[in-house]
Amino acid sequence: MFGVSFLSPLFLIGALAAAVPILLHLFHRKTDVVVDFPAVSLLTRAPVQHHRRRQLRELILLALRVAALVLLAVSFARPYVAGAAAPASAPVTVVALDTSMSLSAPGQFAKAQQAAAQAVESAPASDAVAVVTFSDVATVLVPPTSDRAAALSAVAAATVGAGGTRYRTALASASEVIGARDARVVIVTDLQQSGWEASDEGGLPDGVAVRVVGIAAPASNLAVTSATRRDGTVVATVQNYGPDEARTPVMLMVDGKQAAQATATMAPFAAADVELRGTLGDAGTAQVVIEDNAGYQPDNVRFLALDPPPAVPVTAVVADPTGAVGGIYIERALAVADDGHEFAVTVADGRVLSKWTTAEMARQAAVVILGTRTLDRSGRELLKAYLAGGGQVLLTLGPDVDPGTLLDVIGADLGVAPAPVRSTGATLVATDSRHPIFRPFLLPSGALGDVQVDQHRRLKAQDGRTVLARLTDGDAALTEQTVGAGRLLVFASDLDNQWSRFPLHPSFVPFAVETARYLTQGRQQRHDFTLPDVPAGVPATPGVVRTGEGRTARQIVVNVDVRESSPAATSVDEFTKDITRTNRADDHEIVDVARDAEERQRWWQVGLLVMLVALAGEALVGRRAA
Amino acid sequence: MAGEARYLDPAIVARLGTIDLKARTIVEGFLTGLHRSPYRGFSVEFAEYRQYLPGDDLATLDWKVYARSDRHFVKKYEEDTNLTCHLLLDVSGSMGYGSGPITKLQYGSYLTGALAYLMNRQRDAFGLIAFDDRIATLVPASARTGHLRAVLLALERLKIGAGTNVAKPLRDLAAAVRKRGLVVLVSDLLDDPQSVLDGVKHFRYRGTDVVVFHVIDPYELTFPFEQSARFRDIETAQEVMAVPSAVRHDYVARMAARIAHYKRELGLAGIDYCLLDTSQPLELGLMAYLMTRRRVP
Repeated sequence: MFGVSFLSPLFLIGALAAAVPILLHLFHRKTDVVVDFPAVSLLTRAPVQHHRRRQLRELILLALRVAALVLLAVSFARPYVAGAAAPASAPVTVVALDTSMSLSAPGQFAKAQQAAAQAVESAPASDAVAVVTFSDVATVLVPPTSDRAAALSAVAAATVGAGGTRYRTALASASEVIGARDARVVIVTDLQQSGWEASDEGGLPDGVAVRVVGIAAPASNLAVTSATRRDGTVVATVQNYGPDEARTPVMLMVDGKQAAQATATMAPFAAADVELRGTLGDAGTAQVVIEDNAGYQPDNVRFLALDPPPAVPVTAVVADPTGAVGGIYIERALAVADDGHEFAVTVADGRVLSKWTTAEMARQAAVVILGTRTLDRSGRELLKAYLAGGGQVLLTLGPDVDPGTLLDVIGADLGVAPAPVRSTGATLVATDSRHPIFRPFLLPSGALGDVQVDQHRRLKAQDGRTVLARLTDGDAALTEQTVGAGRLLVFASDLDNQWSRFPLHPSFVPFAVETARYLTQGRQQRHDFTLPDVPAGVPATPGVVRTGEGRTARQIVVNVDVRESSPAATSVDEFTKDITRTNRADDHEIVDVARDAEERQRWWQVGLLVMLVALAGEALVGRRAA
Repeated sequence: MAGEARYLDPAIVARLGTIDLKARTIVEGFLTGLHRSPYRGFSVEFAEYRQYLPGDDLATLDWKVYARSDRHFVKKYEEDTNLTCHLLLDVSGSMGYGSGPITKLQYGSYLTGALAYLMNRQRDAFGLIAFDDRIATLVPASARTGHLRAVLLALERLKIGAGTNVAKPLRDLAAAVRKRGLVVLVSDLLDDPQSVLDGVKHFRYRGTDVVVFHVIDPYELTFPFEQSARFRDIETAQEVMAVPSAVRHDYVARMAARIAHYKRELGLAGIDYCLLDTSQPLELGLMAYLMTRRRVP
């Protein structure tokens, strides 16, 4: 059933104006002279207008006038259909169906569909029903409706994908669907442990009842968790997620043909590397395939690009490359990224840099300035021009940096205090944990809280400078600003293990890599993507995809997230306990939803159009009556 | 019309008390006038004197004549013809219409009462049948003393009924009347003309004399309305919106055609037809009756 609501229901009072023509009609009737006469039969065939016909015409006129007035009032009241959509106030049962890869084991998703259909059918008769599917993203398949058949049809048509599980995304979507209604949520899922992504946000409104229907996970699962080319060999890692030892053939497929095969034997809950030797071209893609009929299907294949993407050039400017530690930590940290394929790090001191041309400098995707003491004028000019021309620079303020020459190097006064500040025991705190650089540190294991900085240089507050991280003594630790057309990050201490032991901390490598990626974004040419992070325009399904055109054309491979391959499940109680509760949507949100629906549907225009037709009809009939 | 000035205005008759008084007033006035009029000889007092013959009823012997002339004469009265008369009065809804001081039903009941009074004086047996689409009131024909009062009382208690169906009661009555006599029908005849004629002719086929008093309101004849109005049929409630000035000519022509049709068809069947509008004196009806009565053996 469709429910009609009104955005401005007070205008409906205007429909009372429809009483005016009705009253006039009745008044007109009362004033009509009626004469009782016995010989009316002799009048019937006289050339006069029969009263019944006239009465019918008057009734048509009355109906048209009343319809016009009512339509005018209804149009101003801004009607909208709340959907196969039930009225916004109706209680709703939201059925959230997990379509992630962890439900792709044989027969598993059919059971989930059956459970979801049962949830739809057993929803209270007074409830509207909504269907939401979720994996990495949540999709509202059926907004709140009283049409159970549509909901069942949507459940039957749902398909399992290769995406990961994001419970909070599903809960956020369900919460949006619920709005301010009374609601209950039925979540049909395999209760996979990895579905509670820490960085996700979302929960259910207070008071919303939750029922979790657990779909049993397969007893074991085998997955190809990585495939890497090393010259003529592809090394594949096969993970056994089951409690028993497992064996599986591992095949390397190139251009649709088997190039190599081996057998992997894995202990319970263990992984094994398999070397696959075969004839491999310099370019193209390959895939490593295993046989696992009982587990999840999408992770039985892993795609790999045979040609590594060109490394992104990054230069580390040091005071003296011959020193023991100059730039070595940055160089080693960036060499880890993508097995050393992502960045090509060049360490250069002032003397080397002064010989570079502007073109050579411009080829660098990013520059990390660790020391300036050996920079001569040409080197300083080169760096300044590079930054002003759109270069990406990370400047550290360690002992090898001369604050007095920074204006010449950077081309802007950074407000750096010349004397270092001792800050024994100070640690790093990210001010915006959602910044791309700090994304890996959201998990407790990657926290920056253990990074100690003993000395740093104080940065004065400046307009246009964003503090990304601070030391616990309050001074800025990492800032971001634009200089000319370029971008400058300033780290207030050093990254050469002199004023800070940060380079020795486990979080240094991800920090260095993510900072370099942040600075070089747009210059990277990755070939390997993991769901759900795929480039724009690339479907979120595992496989080989050709992107770009002409000289920019390339092949990329998209693989499943290996976290999704683990069938380890949590309990219903734990799952329910982990659901965050939020405040209910207030009336404003409901009004916004109603306004959106009304603006989309624009029934008021139809109402006015019909009103005009009614008025035209009234004029036509009225003219004939006259 | 100068002659009619002698008669009572029906409106004045309506103001008299009981129908008994009305009937007597009408008839006595009518008979008084009749004695002075060229219609002498219609008296119902007596027909002739004749010589007493053995076997005659001694009660009819006129002792005053015997005292004066010493001869035996007996009075011969008209009423001795022993006629049976049935008075049929239409009480259908349309008879309740009246544009003036009296309705057609009032007019008809006064006429019927007067006729009953007259018949009583003539010692005729008479009965009353009031009908609409069925027989509403039935007073069987009789000539006994006190019967007039019963008929007049029945007339006084009449109420307006529903739709007219003249044919049916006439058929029923025709089947019931075995003895030849006289049927007086008082009606506005607002029914299907053919049904009316069929019903009335039924009596003629059985040898019964019939006189039809077609009572009609003056407005029905002339349709003098001025204002546009919805004209609602009293019996069927059918409504017609009409502008009188536009329809009057047509209506009057139709009404005249219907009257002419009745007159012609009834005349051909040997039935007396008398059109009376409610503004006309009731005595005209009595006159028409006596004209018919004279023919009846």
